[in-house]
Amino acid sequence: MKPSWAIAAAGCLLAWQAHATGPAADLEAGRTLFNNTATPACAICHTLKDAGAEGAIGPSLDALKPDAARVRTVLKTGLGVMPAYEALTAEQIETLANYVARVAEGH
Amino acid sequence: MQDESPLLNVQRRRLLASSAGVVAAVGLGSHARMSVAGEAPAVAAAVAAAPTVKPLPAYAAWKNADDLIIHSANTIETKRTAFGDGVITPANQLYVRNNVPPPNPSVLDDRDAWKVSVEGVKSPRTLTVGELKTMGLQTTAMVLQCSGNGRKFFEHKPSGTPWDVGAAGCVMWSGVPVRDVVDALGGVADNAPYMTGTGGETLPAGIDPNTLLVERSVPTEAMQDALLAWEMNGEPISLAHGGPLRLIVPGYSGVNNVKYIKRLAFTKEQTPAMIQQARYRLAPLGTKETAENPAVWKMDVKSWINGPASGSTVAAGNHVIRGVAFGGMDAVKRVEVSTDGGKTWKDATFIGPDLGKYAWRQFALSVKLAPGDYRFVSRATDAQGNVQVEQRVENAAGYLNSSWRDHGLDIKVAA
Repeated sequence: MKPSWAIAAAGCLLAWQAHATGPAADLEAGRTLFNNTATPACAICHTLKDAGAEGAIGPSLDALKPDAARVRTVLKTGLGVMPAYEALTAEQIETLANYVARVAEGH
Repeated sequence: MQDESPLLNVQRRRLLASSAGVVAAVGLGSHARMSVAGEAPAVAAAVAAAPTVKPLPAYAAWKNADDLIIHSANTIETKRTAFGDGVITPANQLYVRNNVPPPNPSVLDDRDAWKVSVEGVKSPRTLTVGELKTMGLQTTAMVLQCSGNGRKFFEHKPSGTPWDVGAAGCVMWSGVPVRDVVDALGGVADNAPYMTGTGGETLPAGIDPNTLLVERSVPTEAMQDALLAWEMNGEPISLAHGGPLRLIVPGYSGVNNVKYIKRLAFTKEQTPAMIQQARYRLAPLGTKETAENPAVWKMDVKSWINGPASGSTVAAGNHVIRGVAFGGMDAVKRVEVSTDGGKTWKDATFIGPDLGKYAWRQFALSVKLAPGDYRFVSRATDAQGNVQVEQRVENAAGYLNSSWRDHGLDIKVAA
């Protein structure tokens, strides 16, 4: 009993760690895209507290609280003075959309 | 009105959420849902300040929030029920759409010192507002309408603000005719088919200016009725509406009326700014807007009904159906009203003064309504015989919706 309990506990711990590091890495990747990789950087124009961004051209994402689908669409097509981000890969758009949807204040 | 402090406006909104305002607020959406009868005013005020109720931005805090739908800090429209019958839309009700946030309010500290560079004329030079005031004066009543007004009716749900009818108003602009300024500077240079206006918004570093620059080109012929305006409705133009100086191009949709204008140029080409090349274009559904698509410039003949009620129940008996109609580039000469969704029509009567071909006319039709379900629609005709379209012209971004069918009102008449 004891060894199997210990193995189960260790397994749980590993699972927990995997669960904790995966999303954290996704968040960090999203933050990097938001502040640096996307060109022009999202942070130039948008406020997003999690990213330390205080841009004032476009809407505050903390106030807008867009869902991932809305972010994905606007990254692909642009809107108003926001350009389409055609240089981003589909994967980068997913990471960025999920990041913004997740961290916008109040979510 | 522009001097009203943001604090006063917050107080007004809080009043709405106070115990006295709770009953009156029923039907106002989030206000009403969050209000609890008997709740202490202080608690209600705190709830009203929650993020679900968007506040007016500081630059427009003097506006009457109760008359407005606040989509975002830069997209605010007049509620359909708030339009009055006095022809001119009061500044505190008028919609706001800024593609880029306004410049610092300090640009209004010395209005006469604001400068505009006039280029593409025989003798180009920079003029101050003070100098412009010595060169000529005209007042023009004009429908100011956002290019995307009526976007909410597009079934493909375009990105962008889902404007109802309220991204429009009829306002008085006073300023110098552009043609007078051009004459004083020797006339338009050769080979300059476009009049290009550049906004004075402050743009951040680290981004191609053409991405954000609010710079619009219209055909040079639009110069004939255009103004460089410093007054709106008899007051210096507020920051929200483009003061100290705004380019006014009557008959052309809102975006072409460049706010905080700092450069007026007659140019060989349309501006390379994204807002001209890849925005405000009538692109087929499912495609991206490009410079190949027609630009959003002139407005079409259009009308809509504002009352007696908006999408609600009224008592049986006598009512006055009332609304607004305009021709875009030409005077509106006729408005018909239908209470059965367009099967049968009656001519409405224009009420109030005629303020010229670029203004809207308010109309009314007296009706006696028996109990039942009705759909009110209106259809305008301009002086050239152009009739308001029945169906919207489909386009990807949802611009220039003038459909009479889309803008109808469903009204129930109680027994």
